[in-house]
Amino acid sequence: MKTYTDEKKAAALAVLTTQADAKLITHMNSCVHCGLCADSCIYYRAMPGEKYVPAKKVDLVASIYRRYATTTGKLFPKLTGARNLDDATIDEMIDLLYGACTMCGRCTIHCSIGVDISYVVRKGREMLANMDLVPATLQKTVDAALETGNNMGISDQDYTDTLEWLEEDLQMEMENDNAKIPLNATGKEILYTLNPREPKFFPLSITAMAKVFEAAGESWTLSTRMYDVTNYAYYSGHLEQAAIITQRLVDEVHQLQAGKVVLAECGHGSRAFRWEGPNYIQQAFPFETITSIELMLQYIREGRIRLDPSKNKEVVTLHDPCNLVRSGGVVQQQREILKASVLRFVEMNPHGIDNLCCGGGGGQLAMSEYNDRRMSIARIKAEQIKATGATVVVTPCHNCVDQLTQINVTFKLGVQIKTLAEIVADAIVLDK
Amino acid sequence: MDWYHWMAIAALLFCLTSLSLHLLRLWRLGNHHDFSTPTGKPSAAMPYAFVGAMSPTRKESAYLHLPTYVGGLLYHIATFLGIALFFLFLVGIEIFQWLMWPLALIMIMGAVSGAAILVKRMVKPQMRALSNPDDYISNLIVTLFQLATAAVLFWPQLFPVYFVLTALLLLYIPLGKLKHAIYFFAARYQLGYFFGRRNVWPPR
Repeated sequence: MKTYTDEKKAAALAVLTTQADAKLITHMNSCVHCGLCADSCIYYRAMPGEKYVPAKKVDLVASIYRRYATTTGKLFPKLTGARNLDDATIDEMIDLLYGACTMCGRCTIHCSIGVDISYVVRKGREMLANMDLVPATLQKTVDAALETGNNMGISDQDYTDTLEWLEEDLQMEMENDNAKIPLNATGKEILYTLNPREPKFFPLSITAMAKVFEAAGESWTLSTRMYDVTNYAYYSGHLEQAAIITQRLVDEVHQLQAGKVVLAECGHGSRAFRWEGPNYIQQAFPFETITSIELMLQYIREGRIRLDPSKNKEVVTLHDPCNLVRSGGVVQQQREILKASVLRFVEMNPHGIDNLCCGGGGGQLAMSEYNDRRMSIARIKAEQIKATGATVVVTPCHNCVDQLTQINVTFKLGVQIKTLAEIVADAIVLDK
Repeated sequence: MDWYHWMAIAALLFCLTSLSLHLLRLWRLGNHHDFSTPTGKPSAAMPYAFVGAMSPTRKESAYLHLPTYVGGLLYHIATFLGIALFFLFLVGIEIFQWLMWPLALIMIMGAVSGAAILVKRMVKPQMRALSNPDDYISNLIVTLFQLATAAVLFWPQLFPVYFVLTALLLLYIPLGKLKHAIYFFAARYQLGYFFGRRNVWPPR
């Protein structure tokens, strides 16, 4: 027995009707069902079938739009395939929009018309979120962020304990007892953020970035109150919750009187805060926001850190996080950094804004019910990595790190997965 | 003017009014106000959105499907040419004799391409699953319009049929997916604006 009440359906339909803007109306009316987007989608490539054609996902949302927002759809629904928002349609939406799309946007770039397919999927997710139909696993991640301040529910004690031993590590590595990981320091130039996966699973990336800051002589701090760069409500489509999470980080910048926010290596986190965040809270940020990638390149260009590429002798390849690259415009910076940090850098094919998603985006890592699909599409990334012959895969995104780590094990690639900060930290030449 | 001319003019007015209303709505709604700080320029991305990004070397939808891409291109060229000829026929401007065959050839190539796309839609299960009646009707009516255009170049006695068919096409354009004739440009604009603000386009 379903619980899709008329009230909930009305809330979903509002996304397509009363809240529709020029962008949405354009993309609702543009798809010509040519199906040529199929090959651009990793789901379709891994599991060829009509279900996974991106246009199918667009049509799920657009057919509802046609039914409720167009004259033809209202009068002759069968003519244009206009669909009622009924139980079957809703179930299909949940399965395809949450469970079969990483919102990587590759299909958008390659669409013969120019339909922003990932935007349409986001709108579909917004509809489902308005009906409280976010998959429980994904919602749990959002709830953890709302309730504890970070999406992994790390306690303050665990967090500060971790940072304390990381600081000791940093001092040993830099042979400098004055090297610090500052906490809640006010008036610093930079408030640095973290992906909670870092303190939980990958703490060495925190030390790596701290080493970069220390070597550059930067004025920076971490916060204990709000350090989480992620915003899984971006994936769930729940705009109010996304706004709450965004506002917390904005408030913390003000509280600590920081000059700017530096976003940790997290594709969706950087996108959700930098690009979507101001729109969630409906106001421009009164401070600068940049990614740690852009900052590290700035240090290199200004000579604030010196790098010795011979310290990274392995063949290194780069995985481009979709949200950072295709939807964030940070494309060349990581390449310039790698060329200064390693001896042998090889590109994947394709790469840059054309890169293939690793399969971990779109909230897929949080939604365990779709694990089988996630690892099916991962085969494509595994083959891409193998073809490079690299032994190290660098990616400036912790979600990608997680997915690539699973790919590494599942497909027995035998590579190391590293963040950009780790590579840079390994190459840093310290002044004695 | 004969009755079929007036019929076509009425249909044209309906089509233009409907499409104008669509455009007017988009214009009135304008760009969604974006509070984020841009790192690039939409104005720099627009030419790329309309030209560079449409290049067959850039799009998988083109270079992985070259026969379909070429067919689609011919189909659209013939459609636009057909519309231009419709205006000439309407005002009674005669076509140079030497132009008849080249024009007919383009229209026929367009119609053959249209028919091939229609067959592909009917035969491939994946395309069938994606299609609704509007997809078939739109494809068919445009293909017939191209064939009719080619025919009246040589057989003027077919003009009544041609104008009735053209009127049907014009009446149908705003109802279904053929209105992508305007939404295509809106979609390219939206992409240029989005990727331009974020410094993704033009690619470097």
